[in-house]
Amino acid sequence: MTEALRGRGLAVSGSLAAVLTTLAVIGVFLVAPEDADQGIIQKIFYFHVAIAVASLVGFLVACIAGLLYLRRREERWDELSATAVGVSLLFSVLVVITGSIWAKASWGTWWVWSDVRLVTYMIVVLLYAAYFVLRSSLEGERRMRHSAIFAVAAFASVPLSFYSVRIANSFVHPVVFTRNGANMPAEMLVWFVVSVAAMLALFTALVHLQLTQSRADRALRRLKSALEV
Amino acid sequence: MTSPWTRQMRALLLKDLRLELRTRDTLVAMLLFAVLAMLVLQFAFQRVESDLTRFAAGVLWVVMALTSILGVGRSYVAEREQGVLDGLLVAPVSRLVMITAKALAIVAYLAAVEVAVVPMVGVFFVKGPYFSEIGWLILVCLLADVAIGVLGSLLAALALHGRARELLLPVIFLPSLIPVVIAASGATHAITGGPNDLAEYRGYCLFLLVYAVTFGLVTYATYESVFDD
Amino acid sequence: MVGPNGAGKTTVLRMVAALLRPDAGRLAVMGHAMPDEAPRVRGAIGYLGHQPMVYLDLTAWQNLELFADLYGVPRPRARIEELLDRVGLLARSYDTVRTFSRGMAQRLAMARMLLHEPTLLLLDEPHVGLDAPAAAHLDALLTDGDGRSVLMVTHDLERAATLSDRVVVMRAGRVALDVPTAEVTPGELRRRYEEIVA
Repeated sequence: MTEALRGRGLAVSGSLAAVLTTLAVIGVFLVAPEDADQGIIQKIFYFHVAIAVASLVGFLVACIAGLLYLRRREERWDELSATAVGVSLLFSVLVVITGSIWAKASWGTWWVWSDVRLVTYMIVVLLYAAYFVLRSSLEGERRMRHSAIFAVAAFASVPLSFYSVRIANSFVHPVVFTRNGANMPAEMLVWFVVSVAAMLALFTALVHLQLTQSRADRALRRLKSALEV
Repeated sequence: MTSPWTRQMRALLLKDLRLELRTRDTLVAMLLFAVLAMLVLQFAFQRVESDLTRFAAGVLWVVMALTSILGVGRSYVAEREQGVLDGLLVAPVSRLVMITAKALAIVAYLAAVEVAVVPMVGVFFVKGPYFSEIGWLILVCLLADVAIGVLGSLLAALALHGRARELLLPVIFLPSLIPVVIAASGATHAITGGPNDLAEYRGYCLFLLVYAVTFGLVTYATYESVFDD
Repeated sequence: MVGPNGAGKTTVLRMVAALLRPDAGRLAVMGHAMPDEAPRVRGAIGYLGHQPMVYLDLTAWQNLELFADLYGVPRPRARIEELLDRVGLLARSYDTVRTFSRGMAQRLAMARMLLHEPTLLLLDEPHVGLDAPAAAHLDALLTDGDGRSVLMVTHDLERAATLSDRVVVMRAGRVALDVPTAEVTPGELRRRYEEIVA
């Protein structure tokens, strides 16, 4: 019964992600107006920022799930926390890659140290890669507990990294490059919002998928060991 | 009559300092490592720039950050190798007191290293060093040490039981340390590197304070789970 | 508490000492639910494990001073001196534990355990690796009738039968036998133990 429900949940979040992503791709490339200055390459902005937003939400989910694990000591919260970190880490890598492509297109160089968000995301990738290093070196209940604590500490680190990179840049030289974001025309903003929704749906679907898979794995292991005994 | 917390905190801190004074393992290693790191950095820079004054603040805090890994990594070594951790855990000591005492011990190590390293950076890297700003610099050192101590005592406790913990600690510790390096070197540069910009200095110092408070809150939210097997 | 290796004796002891959180079930020590109310119980427990749990690079006195401060022992100097005398280490007060033999370190651990006058002693195979004087000290301590409760894990059936009021035999994580020692002779206990283990 619950297995069937879970399966349906995955189907729902999966199809939602598929529909929204398709919609976002169509909207961004075919409907939204082309940027006057940057041309076609500006389209990467929709996905770059949307993925970044989704990954931050994911790290927040991991942090909250970690706190819930520490309070309740139930394995499912650890599972959710670890899965959210995993998917968000993947998204963060994508943020760095898309950001680098965009930098190449608009400024002619693959990497710009004065781009606060890009540098912050590089730190974030290192930060959460460390989560899995810590996790894989621990065993049993302690693995879940210490992973949860680290998920909380790492999330506290994200804004601190962002602000430290930002103040370092603003003092050295004023921010020269501003990518249009704040004052976006309405027809762009609509598709930006759709992209964010699509990436959030994709995040949810991937977490769902991973959770379903690890639960199936666990059930399989339990069955195997039951058969052996 | 002192409160039990201050009495326990003093006892734990005194114990760590006594152990270090007797064996001198950690401090000697930290000092030698700091000098070596300075030497390596000077070789890396000198090819392009013969006057390294502008880099001095950065050199100081890169060296201190790397050196702090040694101190933090050794911070639970006596408890672990001599099996005393259980002895402390069965005693009626709040885990918050234990972690805070460790943070203070780390601060003490770092301050002791800085007493030697700050003048050395001055001599080796600054053309015509001057001492008028030493009071401001001491404040930066203390703030940065507290920031490193708060983060370090929590993460060292997480890495305590991990496999390959010597490798684990730098990986989980350094990404979160980047903001400290940025802010501490920024503050140091602001008062010693020419601009003598007090607003900038205050901004960085405030950031270090916020950093320490943030990880203090993370520790406060999670300390009960750190040693709770 | 006796039983073969891996029966779960040490695990039980560590759970009672609030060093381990039970995965399931309920545990109360002196009327307090563990591990939630552990902070109230810790001050009344004295724990002695396989290892002495003292710092090798501190002196005997410094070690006891540390734990006296942690437990909030009143008039610590007099108490430390009394205990060092009692375990026969007064002459070595200012030597680091690194220079001690295993038996001496374990005697110091006994002093550490008794420092705060605990009402419940938890002992994990305390006789292992003890020299004769240390073992004598320990046995004297266990039989001095100071009104303390003692929970001891041991491999030594004879000691268990003579020192305790109750013997619990554990096997594969479960209690296999729980009898007052008054109701069984040492020989009978030995026979039933062999039966359970086999």
